Amino acid sequence: MSPESTTPLPEIVRAPLAERTSELSLELPMLPDTASRVMGLCTAEDCDVRELAELIERDPSLAGHVLRISNSAAFAPNEAIVSLQQAVTRLGFSVLSEIAVGVALRGQVFRVPGFDKTIRLMWMHSAAAGAFAKDIARTARRNVEGAFLCGLLHDVGKPIVLTNVLDVCKQARVRPNKPIVETALEEFHTTVGAMLVERWGLAPWVVAAAEHHHRPEEAGAHEVEANVTNLADALSHWALSTRDVGDPRTLPSVAALDLYDDDMVRIMAGREAVLELAAAFA
Amino acid sequence: MSHQRFEFVVIGGGPAGQKAAIQGAKAGHSVLLVDKMGHHGGECVHRGTIPSKTLRETALWISGYKQHAHLEEKVSCDRTVDNLMRRLDSVRTAHERFLEDQIERNGVERWHGRARFTGGHQVTVEAPGGPERTVEGDHFLIATGSRPRTPNNVPIDHEHILDSDSILSMIYLPTSIVVLGAGVIACEFASIFASLGVRVTMIDKSERPLGFMDEELVERFLAHFASLGGTFLQRRVIDRVEWNGTAVEARLEGGEVIRSEKMLCALGRVACVRDLNLDLLGVEVNERGVIPVDEFCRTSVPHVYAAGDSIGPPALAASSMEQGRRAARHALGLPDPKGSGVLPVGIYTIPEMASVGITEVQAMERSGEVLVGRADFAELARGQIVGDTEGMLKLVADPSGRELLGAHIVGVGATELIHVAQMAMVGGCDLESFVDNIFNFPTMAEAYRVAALQIVQAAPRELRRVS
Repeated sequence: MSPESTTPLPEIVRAPLAERTSELSLELPMLPDTASRVMGLCTAEDCDVRELAELIERDPSLAGHVLRISNSAAFAPNEAIVSLQQAVTRLGFSVLSEIAVGVALRGQVFRVPGFDKTIRLMWMHSAAAGAFAKDIARTARRNVEGAFLCGLLHDVGKPIVLTNVLDVCKQARVRPNKPIVETALEEFHTTVGAMLVERWGLAPWVVAAAEHHHRPEEAGAHEVEANVTNLADALSHWALSTRDVGDPRTLPSVAALDLYDDDMVRIMAGREAVLELAAAFA
Repeated sequence: MSHQRFEFVVIGGGPAGQKAAIQGAKAGHSVLLVDKMGHHGGECVHRGTIPSKTLRETALWISGYKQHAHLEEKVSCDRTVDNLMRRLDSVRTAHERFLEDQIERNGVERWHGRARFTGGHQVTVEAPGGPERTVEGDHFLIATGSRPRTPNNVPIDHEHILDSDSILSMIYLPTSIVVLGAGVIACEFASIFASLGVRVTMIDKSERPLGFMDEELVERFLAHFASLGGTFLQRRVIDRVEWNGTAVEARLEGGEVIRSEKMLCALGRVACVRDLNLDLLGVEVNERGVIPVDEFCRTSVPHVYAAGDSIGPPALAASSMEQGRRAARHALGLPDPKGSGVLPVGIYTIPEMASVGITEVQAMERSGEVLVGRADFAELARGQIVGDTEGMLKLVADPSGRELLGAHIVGVGATELIHVAQMAMVGGCDLESFVDNIFNFPTMAEAYRVAALQIVQAAPRELRRVS
């Protein structure tokens, strides 16, 4: 899916923003400690589910979010999950760690004072894209485990760009109106997002998904992941009605992933569960 | 409304479809190739043969590396499959470009979509994204391949419980994997993962894996598999499989439970013929779900042909290509190919196996008497040099010791070496030819001379040419 057409940024904003978002000068947030430790646990050879549960328990806010999300329809529990131990048993290590990473990022990266509603929508969009990405990957017989993170983090550059464009506008004494903000987000979020996840040491396909989800054909060895993320991005906008993407079934990434009408109908039928998951994440 | 018309419409772009389309176009006929995959080459190039063999090469490199104690390297589960398969993109791209160039150079028209018959001489093609177009043809070839069989008691989620289509989409090598099945795909992946340091348990209801192969080869394969830490659980029946949140549990009849991080379900494949609307034409599909064909790959409907996995065993890429060519030539009135029908089998396990002709057991059943010669690779200078001291070549001859009935090889280069025996059988060479002629030294092919000499010496003296 291509980004929406935008008006050119005033040079007084664009130039300093470009300067800031160049690799050398952009200040990027650290990967939240909890997220980092959860990811470390996930990749450890002797990964221990009890250790993960204890790690989540140490952060009451995180634990609360994890339980709320665990009970959403996307994970379809047969009965309510009331404890983290139960969540570990029911959902398993990888799902629980995905939720924990997501919640940790939500609290520390997707946060721009004064723009709570915008950020909340961005985050819901990301969470929904993560859920759709998993289902797309499963249907297309592509990697399911990595897909959630590709979807969840594809727009992770946006809150960073938003923070910076507000700061640049303030310094340039320019009112950060909607067209300026949106243009800046569209122009810079993929580059910044890729820099961020690369600096966090995440896998190359997550970096490629953040950088190329609007132009999957440029993703080289990770074109598949970029296509999965591109389609997940569009489906998330479609589900949340945050952008007119037309009929998602006709997008180029659908053909690139060899998905057919029945595949897309099935994926799109998961809309309600994805919306509930996105709301739980927010 | 008029539709486009082609002399030959090929449905499916794998090995059979690709070769059939090229064959038809080379003879000057108008050919349409309909492929449900956007990229050239079908499952073979994108999910099957090419990717698994690329991973196998890496596994071989690592296990070969391990043979040198001073260079020993531990392979741990934090190695990404992506890294292990980093050569795949270049291999796949090169192969795909070659196929694409062939298709374009020969003027084959190619449509990306799924085809179904909508008339006796008509198919409708649905492109991804929905649009449909209809085309008419004089002759059709069904080469739609196969997909993994999914038993009801194995809930494949492509995340923890995978099939052969999704197994290589894993990001990390698991610490342990259970492989259900003991056929070619199961054994290939089981041995590849075991070579990469994964704890592998292969479970099957049969007595031994690869029941159609020579028993001695399979024994050596199993010994090597065990030396890598692999376990083969024979005569086990799966009750049910479930992901318990932390591990995959294979619950066997009798109460045994085998837990692993991942599972590969490789319990056979089924032909992709269901959505073709074959009933409309009256094309017969048998009880095994495959399309019966005659020697020219013609189905029960004379202008409709089928080849490759859609007609059932042997379902090998090499045989599928030959079937595709044969079908195209017959459909388009070209002279039939003069193949011998001697079909080699190559299995890309570690160590690899290959065979041609009949096994010792089959020969005994046929005539009650048989002569067998063996050559252990450990006895060959080249075997010692390359570090393969477990391999073996076995020749099966008629009681006179003259006619070569079969050759069976396990070990380094087996899938290449087998062609020597194949050509000897096609050319009618007797066993003494292997003794009389000179082989390069040091080579693995010397094994032929060693094994043939055993047979010649064991043959009735009055029938020998060589003493």
